[in-house]
Parts: sequence; structure tokens; C-alpha cells
Amino acid sequence: MESATAILLSRLDFAWVASMHFLYPPLTIGLALLLFFAEWRWMRTDDEAWYRLTRFFEKLFIINFGAGVATGVTMEMAFGILYGPFSQAAGPYFGNVLGYETITAFMYEAGFIGLMIFGWGKISRGMHLFATFNVMLSSTLSAFWIMNANSWMQTPSGVELRNGIFHVTDWSKAIFNPSFLSSFAHMWVAAVELALFFVIGVCAWQLLKRRHEGIFAKPLKYALVAAAVVAPLQVYLGDDLGQVIGEHQPAALAAMEGHYHTYNKDGSVNTGWHIVAWPDAAAGDNRWAITIPHALSLIETHTLDGKVMGLDQLPAENRPPVWVPFYGFRVMVAIGFFLMLVAFYGAWLIYKRRLTAPYTGASRWFLRVAVFSGFLPFLAIWTGWWTREVARQPWLVDGMMRVEDGVSRMTVLEATIWLVGFMIFELVVWYFTWYFMAKVIRHGPDLEAPVLRGGHESLGHLEAEPEDDRAHPAYERP
Amino acid sequence: MMPTDISDLRLFVIYAWWFALGFSLLLYIMLDGADLGAGVFSLFVRDPDARGGVMAAMAGTWDANETWLVVAGGVLFGTFPLVYGSAFHYLLVPLVIVLWSIMMRAIALEFRHHANRSTQLWDGLFGVASLTTLFFAGMAMGAVLEGYPLTSGPVPTYAGGMWRFVSPFSVWTGIGAVIAASLAGSLFVRARFERTEDIRKQAAVWVDRSFYASLVAVVVTVVWSLLKFPWAAEKWLGPYVWAWALVAVAVVYTVFRMRRSSRLGRDLFAILWLNAAIAIMWLAMMVTMLPWLVPNTWTIYAAASPSVSLVTFTMAMGGFLPVMLVYNWYQIWVFRARISKLTGYGH
Ligand code: HDD
Ligand code: HEM
Ligand code: HEM
Repeated sequence: MESATAILLSRLDFAWVASMHFLYPPLTIGLALLLFFAEWRWMRTDDEAWYRLTRFFEKLFIINFGAGVATGVTMEMAFGILYGPFSQAAGPYFGNVLGYETITAFMYEAGFIGLMIFGWGKISRGMHLFATFNVMLSSTLSAFWIMNANSWMQTPSGVELRNGIFHVTDWSKAIFNPSFLSSFAHMWVAAVELALFFVIGVCAWQLLKRRHEGIFAKPLKYALVAAAVVAPLQVYLGDDLGQVIGEHQPAALAAMEGHYHTYNKDGSVNTGWHIVAWPDAAAGDNRWAITIPHALSLIETHTLDGKVMGLDQLPAENRPPVWVPFYGFRVMVAIGFFLMLVAFYGAWLIYKRRLTAPYTGASRWFLRVAVFSGFLPFLAIWTGWWTREVARQPWLVDGMMRVEDGVSRMTVLEATIWLVGFMIFELVVWYFTWYFMAKVIRHGPDLEAPVLRGGHESLGHLEAEPEDDRAHPAYERP
Repeated sequence: MMPTDISDLRLFVIYAWWFALGFSLLLYIMLDGADLGAGVFSLFVRDPDARGGVMAAMAGTWDANETWLVVAGGVLFGTFPLVYGSAFHYLLVPLVIVLWSIMMRAIALEFRHHANRSTQLWDGLFGVASLTTLFFAGMAMGAVLEGYPLTSGPVPTYAGGMWRFVSPFSVWTGIGAVIAASLAGSLFVRARFERTEDIRKQAAVWVDRSFYASLVAVVVTVVWSLLKFPWAAEKWLGPYVWAWALVAVAVVYTVFRMRRSSRLGRDLFAILWLNAAIAIMWLAMMVTMLPWLVPNTWTIYAAASPSVSLVTFTMAMGGFLPVMLVYNWYQIWVFRARISKLTGYGH
């Protein structure tokens, strides 16, 4: 009993630090891309507005990045602490992949982020753009490897379990495991979509307050048009991922859909898709549900009567919990469609030339919705992960290692200390991250500071100090 | 001691990774040690602008410096997963505190810049978190030297409670880490501020005191290890005692040069000599521990992942490590000039 509680607690511990880490990296990944775009526009057009925008969003980027690093370092250690036996067993593959992430992504990123933040006016414009580009690329590489590690846990391949240790038999099979490409694509586009709606939300808020229209009107339009492409793409990729899950992790799919019975009582294939349901694990059925016939088969097999495996095909101890995947999935999908509509409507307003000052009537309402939409992708990303992780239960490595075999033997006390400690710390980080982001947003872009073009001025000054370079000796060269 | 069923190639790769692990940790200690030490020092700086200046002095590089810790973690997980999984459980408490501290430090560094009313809070957090990082990381290091019990079975895991890491020796190594970092930190502050700044005078006093304290700390640690750890005594007093004596002479020489450079106000040289001393001592310790990765617990052969391969090693070390070193160097170069406190955060 004691150990069941301890295991549950360590799972919660991990879920908590992962969820809190995950508030930041997607914005880092997506926003880096948009920053690169804005800075590149500035290089090409020399239009000051792009410069102000870049500097403004870069401030938000930095705040977010700091929080991402702080919570990410936690994650790396969390594996060893909370999942000692898993780390040992899966190390040969999983640890290697995280090692690659460290080397190809974190080291790489850290090398350029300092230049990107503090290099303004110190290094040439081209070099600065190059730094921004590398930050973008390295954060994407980070997503690449981490999704790889995670998708291998979802659909392990290319390994063999010998003496309690996963030996890699085929690297390319392990890396390109069945769910990797789909889930990486879905994740990466989620990050881009999140950043787009973040930018949309921030711009819309400024316009609602009638601030800096000359600066924020243009990026709002660009981002909306981009979102009108990206949001439907994300729905498409989500569907694609669903197919992969259906094929390789039927149990997870059944949990996501609350699909208990493969066949109806009369022996025909159960094709019903539940909009809402009240899953009851003990009874092995939904207590009640609102169901659309044929929809499930249509979604998953793209046919009217295709068979979809239900949870009744699995022994009770191998069934994943249903509540979280079922509702997590629905929230994500609802947000996915909602954001798509927002983007379409915005694009239509732009096309009709109605999204222009003085923003009254429909466009004013639209701006309000746009601000609200800025928060939704965060929720979609959370619910998406919870769906994915909970639907894999009770397996840690699908079909190969159960959670209770991978978790460290912590006592309830240890697990509780961890949980309470990180509850407080991560909440503090979250609160201040968003507090300072809000502050920067309210403050708006800095229009007074001189535009920093590329330079070779006296290095080492964080702010450009005009003309008195001579007074400060440069670094003493021995 | 060396298992016979390991091929030469595999043995070479294992050693190469072992070296890479040690090297990343060493770089972390040299680079972030100074940042952390400067953080401890900032606790004793009264002038808020000067404290902001200390943070500003590392603003462009602290993240890259910390990355070496993440790299070490990555290498450990990737190459020695059996140690990663068991040692981190053993070191649960100190590592959790280190984690909290690193987090707080990171956000203090970021947020100080945006704060108006709460600068005091971030300054304080920054200093205290630097201190706790050092102390508990030092403790963890000492605890690793003492080894830990394992379960039997194909995949041995940690068997023992969460307080096992506490011992007089590990408390001492924690204190030692704080002392050594104070020296590195005060040298860093002297090198990073303009010569006219008051803070450099205060740092000079610190350099003095922490210098003598460090000398004592090193001697105490060496003697204690000699008495406490048979594996260390065997090596040091064994047939190669002359080689170890040479190492000691080299350390004394570098320390002497450091002292002189710092007296002469050649701050950069002082830092370089200090780092030379640290590097020599660190490498000596790594060799002393061989073949153990964790003394009396894991040999590097038993701990190595079955999938270490020359290909991945070459990729990582031949490709990325040098590139990373170049970035690191370029960054330090870009941010190399001295600063004044008024270029600190919030101005
Ligand atoms: C590389 C691997 C990996 C990655 C990228 C993630 N996780 Fe995870 N997660 C795990 C590896 C893992 C795990 C260590 O394997 C856990 C612990 C227990 C389990 O079954 O899986 C887990 C559990 C776990 C649980 C608890 C599930 C349960 O016990 O029912 C949640 C809610 C999350 N994670 C959430 C997330 C979020 C929000 C992530 C986004 C960053 C995330 N995970 C990324
Ligand atoms: C459980 C898995 C994870 C671990 C162990 C982990 C670990 C880390 C670590 C150690 C850092 C800090 C690196 C530094 O010092 O710069 C970090 C940051 C980062 N992580 Fe994660 N992470 C995990 C999940 C994810 C996921 C799922 C993604 C993206 C899809 C991601 C993307 C990033 C990115 C882009 C950064 C750098 C930017 C930032 O800090 O915001 N991570 N992560
Ligand atoms: C209609 C739209 C969408 C569909 C059909 C969809 C579908 C899916 C599916 C099937 C999964 C895998 C669950 C599992 O592995 O068990 C998933 C995961 C996920 N979804 Fe979505 N999704 C949609 C929209 C979104 C949106 C809008 C976002 C965020 C902006 C998002 C973010 C995520 C994330 C972060 C994951 C976990 C990582 C991954 O598997 O890539 N999804 N989604």
C-alpha cells in the first residue's frame, strides 16, 4: 500500500515538473522562428518598425527562455532521481538520445543565445541574424531529440530487453520508430502555432488599447495569415498522428476515445464516437455517453464500418486510465478547431480590409477573441501531453516495461517533499515569468533608444555608451 | 580488476567517454565556479548597483557556463546510465536542493533586469542560491567519493536511505566547495570590473582571505582522503609516489603564480593560473579513482552502457565539443571588457 502511494506520488512528481517545463520551450521554439523572420525583414527593408518589434518580442523571449532553462535542468535530473531503474535499463538508448539533445541542442543553443541577447550593437548585423538563426535551429533540434526519446517510449523498436537492460540492436529503427515522425511534426507545428497565437494575442491587446498601431498592426496581419495556414495543418497532422496511434498503440487510442467494446451486443462492429462520456473503469464501460454512430470508424480507419479495438480486448491490469486521455484529447481537438476558425475569420477580415484602425464593431470583437486565443495553445499543449502520457499507462516503455518497474523506490515522505518543494518553486517561476512578461507587454516597445546597427564599439558594455569609450580601458591584454 | 571480456576498441571508447565526462565537469567547475563564487561574494556587497554589476558581469555567459553541467549530465546518462540511475537516487536530497538553487539563480538573473521594486529580493535570492548550490554540490561530490550500497541483481540500484549522503566528510567537501569558489569568484570580480570601481577593493580582501582558506581546505581534504580512502592511499603512496609528488609540486607552482599575478593586478593571468591548478587537481583525482567511477561501487567498465560506440563518440567529441568550445571562447571574447557598476542591470 505504502509503495503504491509512493509510486503514484513519484509519477505525479514527474508529471508536475514535466508539465511546468513544458510551459516554456514551445514558445521558445516558435518565437525564435518568428524573431528570425522579423529580424530578417529588418535587414532587408531597414524599416525601423521591424527592429522595434524584434527587440520587443525578444525581451519576452528571454524571460521565457530563462524559465525554460531553469525548469529544464530539473527535468534532466528528474529522470535519474525519480526513474532510477528506468534510466539504468533504458539508458543505452534513451540516455544516449538525451545525450545527443544535450550536445546538439543545448550546447549549441547556449553558444548563441548570449550573442543574440547581448550582442546587439556589438557584433555585425549579419552575425546577429546568424545567432538568431542558430537559436531557432538549435531549439528545434532539442524538440527533435526529446520527441524521439518520448516516441521511442510510446512505440519502442530496434531494441532487445536482455538481463533487464535495453540493448540497441538497430539504431535507425530505434530512432525512426513508428510514431516519431508524426509526433515530432505535430509537436513542432504546435510550437509554431503557439508562438503565432501568442504574437497575435499580444498585438491584438496593444491595438485594443490603441497603442503603437504603427508597429503592431502589421505583425498581427502577418501572423494571422500564417496561422490560417498553420492551424489547419495542425489539425491534419493531428489526424495523421491519430492514425499512427491507432495502428501501433490501439490501447492508447481506445482510452482516448473511451472505446470499451470492440463489438456491439449484436456482434456488429462498434463504430460509435463519444462526444462526452462518463467512463467507469471498474465496470469496464461508460456509465453514459453521447455517441455518434460510424464517426469513430470514419476518423480512425477512414471507412464507415472499420473495426477499432476496444479496451475489452485487454486484461484489466493492462488498461490505461480513460478519464484524462478522453477529456484531454477532446479539449485539445476543440482548441485546434477553434483556433483554426479564429485564424480563418481573421484572414477574412484582412481580405475585406476590415482589420484596420480604428478597430470598431466586428474587428474590435475579433481583437478580444484574439487576445483570449493567445492562451489556448498552452492549454492544448498540456492536454495533448497528458493524453499521450496517460494513455501509455500502465507501461513506461510500451509493452516492455511497466511503470512500477521503472520508478525509483522512494518513500512517501521523499516523494512528498519533492512534490511540495517543486510545487512551490515551479509556481514561483511561473508567476514571475508571466508577471514580467505582462509588465513588458504593458510597457510596450522602447521607441526612444537609438537603433543599434551592427558595430564594433568598445565591447563589454551592456548598453551602448556613446563616445566615452576612451575613458574605459578595454580588457587588459597581458 | 580489469574485466577480460572487453574488446580493446570498447575499452578505448569507454575511457574516452570517461574522459569526456570528467572534462565537462571540469569545465563546469572552472566556468560556473567563478559565477557561483561571485554570487556568494555579492551577498556581502552593500551597494545595490554594484550587486547588479556582479550579475551584469556574467549576463552574457552564465547560461553557456551552466550548460557544461547539463552536458555532464547528458554524458553520464548516455554513457554510464547505471551510475546515473543509482547515484542520482542516492543523492536525491542534495541534488534537489541544487536544482532548486539553480532554478532560483537563473530566474533571479533574468528577473533582476526587469524588476523595479523587487531588486532586493532577486539580489538576495541570487546570492543565497549561489551559496546553496555550491555547498550541496560539494557535499554531493564528497558523498560520491564515499560510495553507496547497491542491490544485487542484473541491474543493481541504490539501496539505502535518503540521508545516507550526510557525513562529516561530505559536509566538509561542501564547505570546501564554498571556499574554493569564493576565491574563483573574487578573482572574477576583480577581472570584470573597471579598475576605478570600489568593488574591486572589497574583492581584493576576499581574494586574500579565500586564498589562505583554500590552501587550508586543500591540505585538509588531501590528508583526510589519505586516511579515509584506502583506494586513494594505495595510489598515492604506491610505486608511483614520485609522480604524485610531481603533481603536488605542479599544483604548488601554479598556486604561487596565481598569487603573484593577482598581487601584480594581472587579473586575467590570476584566473588562468587558478584554473590550471584546478585542472591539475581534478585530473589527479580522476586518475586516483580509477578504475572506479564511484569508489567501491561502480567501476567504469561495469557502469558503461552496452551501446557505447565509436561512431557516436566521434560524432559528439569530434564534431560538437570543439564547436561548443569555440562558441564559448567567442562569447567570452565578445563580453571580455571590464564593466562599471552603472552598466549593471536596471539602468
Ligand atoms: C522523454 C520522455 C518524456 C517526455 C518528453 C515527457 N515525458 Fe511525461 N513522462 C515520462 C517521460 C516523458 C515518463 C518518465 O516516462 C513518465 C513517468 C511515468 C510514466 O508512465 O511516464 C511520464 C509521466 C507523465 C505524466 C503522468 C502520467 C501518469 O502517470 O498517468 C504526465 C501527466 C506527463 N508525463 C506529462 C508530460 C508533459 C506535459 C510533457 C511535456 C513536456 C512530458 N510529459 C514529456
Ligand atoms: C522529459 C523530457 C525533457 C527533459 C529531460 C528536458 C530537459 C531540458 C533541459 C535540461 C533544458 C535546459 C537546457 C539548457 O541548459 O539550456 C531544457 C530546455 C529546453 N527544452 Fe526540455 N526537456 C524535456 C522536455 C522537452 C520537450 C518535450 C521539448 C520540446 C518539444 C523540450 C524543448 C526544450 C527547449 C527548446 C529548451 C531550450 C529552450 C528553453 O529553455 O526554453 N523539452 N530541457
Ligand atoms: C484537431 C486538432 C488536433 C488533433 C486531431 C490532434 C491529435 C493528437 C493526437 C492523436 C495526439 C497523440 C496522443 C497520444 O500519443 O496518445 C496528440 C498529441 C499532442 N497534441 Fe494534438 N491534436 C490536435 C490539435 C492540437 C493543437 C492545436 C495543439 C497545440 C497547439 C496540440 C498539441 C499536442 C501536443 C503537444 C501533443 C503531445 C505531443 C505529440 O504527440 O506530438 N494538438 N494530438
